[in-house]
Amino acid sequence: MTDPIELAVFKNVFHSIAEEMGAALRRTAFSPNIKERRDYSSAIFDREGNVVAMGDDMPVHLGSMPMSVRAALDKLTFEPGDLAILNDPYAGGTHLPDITLAMPVFVEDHPIAAFYVANRAHHADVGGTYPGSMGLCTEIWQEGVRIPPLKLVGKGVLNRALLEFLLNNVRTPREREGDLTAQIGACRIGAQRVLEIAGKYGMPRVMANVEAMLDHSEALVRAELGRLPYGEFTADDYLDSDGINDEPVLIRVTLKPEPASRRLIVDFTGSAKQVAGSLNAVAAITYSALFYVLRCLLPEEAAPTAGLMRPVEIVLPEASIVNAKPPAAVAGGNVETSQRIVDVLLRAFSQMIPARIPAASSGSMSNLTIGGTDPRTGEQYAYYETIAGGSGGRPVGDGVPGVHTHMTNSLNTPVEALEYAYPLRVRRYAYRKDSGGAGLHRGGDGLIREVELLAPARVTILSERRRFAPYGLQGGSEGATGRNTSIENGAAHELPGKCNIQAPKGAVIRIETPGGGGWGGQTTNSDRLPHYPNAT
Amino acid sequence: MRIAIDTGGTFTDCVYLRGNRLQILKVPSTAGDPGRAVLEAIAQIAPDGHAEIRHGTTVGTNTLLERTGARVAFVTTEGFEDSIAIGRQNRPKLYDLFFTKESPLAPDDLRFGVAERTACDGTALQQVHPHELARLKAAVQAAAPEAIAVSLLFSFANQESERAVSAVMREIGVPVSVSHEILPEFREYERGSTVLINGYLAPKMQSYLGQLDGALRANGSRLHVMQSSGGIASATDAAREPVRTILSGPAGGVVGAIAIARQAGYQNIITFDMGGTSTDVALVNTETGPRTTTELHILGMPVAVPTLNIHTVGAGGGSLARFDHGGALSVGPQSAGADPGPICYGRGEQPTVTDANLLLGRLDPNSFLGGALKLDPERVKERFDQTKGCLASVQEFASGILRVANSHMESALRRISLEQGYDPRDFVLVSFGGAGPLHACDLARALHIPKVLVPNFPGALSAYGILVSDFVRDYSRTVMLQPEGAALHEHFRALEEVGRRDMQKEGLQGAAVRSLDLRYGGQGYELNLDWSADFVNRFHQLHERRYGYSDPNRTVQVVNARVRMIAITEKPVAQREDIRPGDGKQALLAGGIYDRARLHAGDRFAGPAVIAEYSATSFLPPDAEACMDEWGNLVIEVAA
Repeated sequence: MTDPIELAVFKNVFHSIAEEMGAALRRTAFSPNIKERRDYSSAIFDREGNVVAMGDDMPVHLGSMPMSVRAALDKLTFEPGDLAILNDPYAGGTHLPDITLAMPVFVEDHPIAAFYVANRAHHADVGGTYPGSMGLCTEIWQEGVRIPPLKLVGKGVLNRALLEFLLNNVRTPREREGDLTAQIGACRIGAQRVLEIAGKYGMPRVMANVEAMLDHSEALVRAELGRLPYGEFTADDYLDSDGINDEPVLIRVTLKPEPASRRLIVDFTGSAKQVAGSLNAVAAITYSALFYVLRCLLPEEAAPTAGLMRPVEIVLPEASIVNAKPPAAVAGGNVETSQRIVDVLLRAFSQMIPARIPAASSGSMSNLTIGGTDPRTGEQYAYYETIAGGSGGRPVGDGVPGVHTHMTNSLNTPVEALEYAYPLRVRRYAYRKDSGGAGLHRGGDGLIREVELLAPARVTILSERRRFAPYGLQGGSEGATGRNTSIENGAAHELPGKCNIQAPKGAVIRIETPGGGGWGGQTTNSDRLPHYPNAT
Repeated sequence: MRIAIDTGGTFTDCVYLRGNRLQILKVPSTAGDPGRAVLEAIAQIAPDGHAEIRHGTTVGTNTLLERTGARVAFVTTEGFEDSIAIGRQNRPKLYDLFFTKESPLAPDDLRFGVAERTACDGTALQQVHPHELARLKAAVQAAAPEAIAVSLLFSFANQESERAVSAVMREIGVPVSVSHEILPEFREYERGSTVLINGYLAPKMQSYLGQLDGALRANGSRLHVMQSSGGIASATDAAREPVRTILSGPAGGVVGAIAIARQAGYQNIITFDMGGTSTDVALVNTETGPRTTTELHILGMPVAVPTLNIHTVGAGGGSLARFDHGGALSVGPQSAGADPGPICYGRGEQPTVTDANLLLGRLDPNSFLGGALKLDPERVKERFDQTKGCLASVQEFASGILRVANSHMESALRRISLEQGYDPRDFVLVSFGGAGPLHACDLARALHIPKVLVPNFPGALSAYGILVSDFVRDYSRTVMLQPEGAALHEHFRALEEVGRRDMQKEGLQGAAVRSLDLRYGGQGYELNLDWSADFVNRFHQLHERRYGYSDPNRTVQVVNARVRMIAITEKPVAQREDIRPGDGKQALLAGGIYDRARLHAGDRFAGPAVIAEYSATSFLPPDAEACMDEWGNLVIEVAA
């Protein structure tokens, strides 16, 4: 029998370590992407690589971090003072800009690590064809430098050769070095704290409680699965295109609950084959999306540990859009396809538990990358931003306008910080009025962001829901699709959802993000007034 | 005569000097009209008037938390009208499909854009046209706001546009809050939010403080107000910039703890102020004084004026305990509040931390609030027995509640100590607030803090802090400079000149303290440190200490220059009692509880023991030893 008091204490302790690692990383990082946008995450793992605690960071990282630790464990033999680095999507990563560091924690003289701490941060450039490494590639080799699990630090000594090799392959080496140093520092802080806990409580007690934490998450998810109906519940949705071929890409999932055994089978059979463009999701991402959805169905106190996934079986067709194989390009799988997988999963769940599922949210991170030479310094820069949209209408009230949903929770870059850092000027940052879908409970509005280039630059846009709108539920209308525009010399040209363009000085890039879908049949047509989410 | 008055949820605490003696008065708070209790207390203490009144107020905080402030208009650069509502575009809860965001203080129809633009280097790209000003004025006027907040992009780099806009707004005749006057620092959301909150609070605070000040002036008294920064300001300044008073009371507690600890000879302290719904902790060097932060958030909204670096967690005496669906015990952040209150008050149904303390004999049912409120232990036992889940006994349940509550507070204490590179073993835990001294020893042990200090009158320490606070005014500007060169000194001199002029207007002689916000070029967060000739070296050291590494080869960037003007308040002479070794037996009440009022300097006794006094109860666990020092403090050696 688990001791409920010990369990509560250990949950708090481990969670606060993960949060502390994140705070240290944020405060010492150099790229706006990490320090301002907080595109990073931190977690602690047991000796087998099961996630025990995570910071409240980026959902898309969290479910997939265990694969990184697992890949490092499979490939490397750890000794005290070691620290692994990796970003290869086909060996524990998700897409190349996300660089993961993992550090073993050895307690006393035991030769096997008792824990691992890890963090992952989105680096603003990791080389490849396009500045920002988020361009429209067709092979992984074009997307940037690919790092298999390697020791960046061996027995406490930094592997300078490896670091120099990496920095030689990116556009902004000084910033990368600063960010990696910050990641190393945060891992060390996490390892130190875990050691303190082991010292304070003793390993037997710590290990017993770690197991209890995993069991606790499992118990919560099983309780939920036990309440689902029998049956097969299939849902479809589409990606607009892969950016290379102008074809819709199907994602399909069938949920098969087994309430008696309190299990769930999640089958993605029927989803499209992997595509030529970079929208391919590796299995880790699909796993993350499912992990996120399950966690959302649980009460607030549920710790997002590996225990959540124990009663779940996931079926992924080989070499598909949800389980890509080399050498598919994957940059957009992490940021765009992950959102669509969530949309499809929620749509399937809405057939079972309609009163608990909101309509589709914007369903795109609307990734904007701008890179070139800063005329003020003569140095290369890479600016990366994701732009929020509307959240879907909910059974309890309207959706929220202009907010990141589901697999991301990154912040915007403050205008005043951005203009100090890059040769760019923000012209507009506003709600996109009336873009939320109508319904009993309206979808939240999307956003409009306009950025002027103060020097010629290479612009990459990776966005979705420009063709297939965010769905409404229970009779609610779709949210508005997004739109990308370039304005040069007063003339506006619509840009595709996914593009790489070379734009001149003075061009303004305008991104209009999708609104959320509406929830519930509309009562009147006239109430399209300014709206804010109802308090729940 | 100087009187400090701190408004609390239940009582309004007054601390004042009569002759040379420190006196305390508690009167019931008057929730709807807090000024009434203040005036009643003053009438009792100084019926003849001519007093210097210092006030810790909750009017600002409550107005914000209850969302009862003004209809405030927000004016910003055209194209960015919504950015104050969008905020940082993130959501407060990661895994909640039904998350909500606090709706903006200025709704859609009260946000206005003005066609103008300044670049980051201060260049005016587009100046405000007179026609545009006229249009704006008409539009704002038509919306009939009760207050106006103005924050234009890069106004800290060039104030011209914002000056022109605010001049026109001031013609409308409602309070106008302007960003370059309140907070000339970069990051538009944080600055805009601060200025908007100021506007939201201004009418209410102006009326509250105006009325109070008027009533007091009539009999020759003057009103001053405690700021979140830990310093006193005139009522006029506080009414103009009420955003600086949001942590008025908690700041008083920290300043009070510093004064008490310094007098008793302790340099490094951690303050631990545990109340009914939350706990405030801060780490301070009493020689150099408290540090401030500019990263406070209230209801998710940033407040970027300097605030004492106080960390708050949602765990207090009233925190509710329950078992979750997975079987783990959780405590807080929901609180029983004053209504229904804990089970032992007679009406609550759900177990709270206070109930757990009572059940374990750490609270005396008969001496709570001087016996004014009788606690009901039988009722607690009954309810605990019904709700204890799989636990074997009500005692186990109660001690579990305390352990879980303590784990939250322990995290808070770790965050301000270990996580900032400080070793708790070097500190004294100064514990106050109604519930603080009940938990202090357990927490001290958990963090290896060797000593706990419970000041005299722990329930009125905030008022004491307010009484002894200095007058403070803060000035800052974003400079974005390299550390070398004369420009920085020019900025300091300009800030100091304004500061001295403002102090003179108040009839005060102020000294200037310079500090800097520094970072490695390219980082996004700054470390604040006092200015000195070798500040660059000290920055590397501080970064190393805080984050485990430093890089002397990277360039250091000066982001903000700050000047704090301080006019010292004359401190009361403390009463000292000669040490007379004793065992405290004379203070023992029936039931083995010590009456704090009857303990003498030099009394020493071992735990387990409960020490009761009017406004708080201290718990001394086994193996801990308490001693009354010459200043009336209870000093506890906790032994790990």
